[in-house]
Amino acid sequence: MSEVIVITSGKGGVGKTTTTANIGTGLALSGQKVVLIDTDIGLRNLDVVMGLENRIVYDLVDVVEGNCRVKQALIKDKRYDGLYLLPAAQTRDKSSVKPQQMMDLCGELKEEFDYIIVDCPAGIEQGFKNAIAGADRAIVVTTPEVSAVRDADRIVGLLEANELRNPKLLINRMRSDMVKRGDMMSIDDIIDILAIGLVGVVPDDEKIVVSTNRGEPAINDQKSPAGQAYRNIVRRIKGEEVPYMTFGEDQGFMVKLKRLLGLKAD
Amino acid sequence: MEENIISFKATLNGLILVMREEDDFDVIYESVARKLETSGRFFKGASLDVKYRGKKLDSVQQNKIASLIAQKASAEVKSFEEDETFNGAEMEAEEPDRSSEKPRMRLMYFKGLEEGMTRFYKGTVRSGTLVSYQGNLVVIGDVNPGGEVIAAGNVIVMGSLRGMVHAGADGNKEAVVAALSLQPTQLRIADVITRPPDTKQIRQGLLPEMAFVKDDLVFIETFLPQFK
Repeated sequence: MSEVIVITSGKGGVGKTTTTANIGTGLALSGQKVVLIDTDIGLRNLDVVMGLENRIVYDLVDVVEGNCRVKQALIKDKRYDGLYLLPAAQTRDKSSVKPQQMMDLCGELKEEFDYIIVDCPAGIEQGFKNAIAGADRAIVVTTPEVSAVRDADRIVGLLEANELRNPKLLINRMRSDMVKRGDMMSIDDIIDILAIGLVGVVPDDEKIVVSTNRGEPAINDQKSPAGQAYRNIVRRIKGEEVPYMTFGEDQGFMVKLKRLLGLKAD
Repeated sequence: MEENIISFKATLNGLILVMREEDDFDVIYESVARKLETSGRFFKGASLDVKYRGKKLDSVQQNKIASLIAQKASAEVKSFEEDETFNGAEMEAEEPDRSSEKPRMRLMYFKGLEEGMTRFYKGTVRSGTLVSYQGNLVVIGDVNPGGEVIAAGNVIVMGSLRGMVHAGADGNKEAVVAALSLQPTQLRIADVITRPPDTKQIRQGLLPEMAFVKDDLVFIETFLPQFK
């Protein structure tokens, strides 16, 4: 039973590509056969985040135009077995691919892979329409900012209009200390507005910047809080019930203890 | 979506106007006018055989567009007729195929490596930009990661080469790539494709180097005596 999952957000810079890389890697680590498709034609990033940029020979546009076979364009990940990338073209634009072609491509890949993760470009135009065309499920990424939540709301509406019911919400770059001070929207605030199911909350983590620059997904970094959050999200995607990491209220045992003793937790 | 209404294709002695069947004549007329407004200078003074495809036009409409091209582009329109060599089935195949920008491998490849047509490109080739030429190509500037430089002949970069480079793109293995700092994302000569090793090497300053193919392997050497 293979599935096409699109990672989308509306707003740019909220972490779609990072999420795609981490979820894809996580699923591959758990023994699934995974292909990541970058649909951000003209502004491709997923190959860079995965550290596979220099291996690209053919891309998504070559595949849909019939310049090569799908298998020729798939890049095998250098670290993890069962993980493949179909990169976007860089010197073309979004109109090079049509939704019907994406649908056909996803259908073809479904025969070979357990999970097809589609990295959607920012915006709601052609690129978005291409990305969601072949999708069975959607994950909407947002950050705790009004602008990102506003765009996520628009995206949820568009997904529902395109028959993609029950999209899941992923809140990225959450900072519990700021929520506590009342300077940032809390998880509940966001869910109140969007009214969709939560798949996970990823804390703001410096390690993500480091791993992105190195071209290595953070999910395998046992010390990274974001990596831990992504590991949980992967398990939830696979249908497991995983308790949510504690956010917004406290950061751990020491903080709880301090509060218990009447000390000001900062 | 605007630019999809019409497009121009250059031919040997004129151009082809490609339209979409479903658009009204008025819409097409408007977008031809707009397109010529921005790119019409290109045809100035030329005499063109114009053909059209994708939609049937009656003689009144033909005359309207022909005189529009003549007027906006200051070009002489020698003829304006339907492109009969073209049939609908071909359109599907040809329309999305813009990859003809990238030269294909051919038996008759470019042989002017020593003394041949050369394009000089001034400026930085940034991410997402493709600079290509059916001859030798000289970039006076840098090529950034994500930028692509493709030439049928040699590629010379008077700056740092960090993007993708393809020399001898239509099959000439004698082609070379030279740069003041040669650190490409990927380097291709004819049908030989290489990439730098995954281990990061730190190099400072400019070190002019040249890449060439020998026995289907890419070799990289410095070409200035003082760096040897």
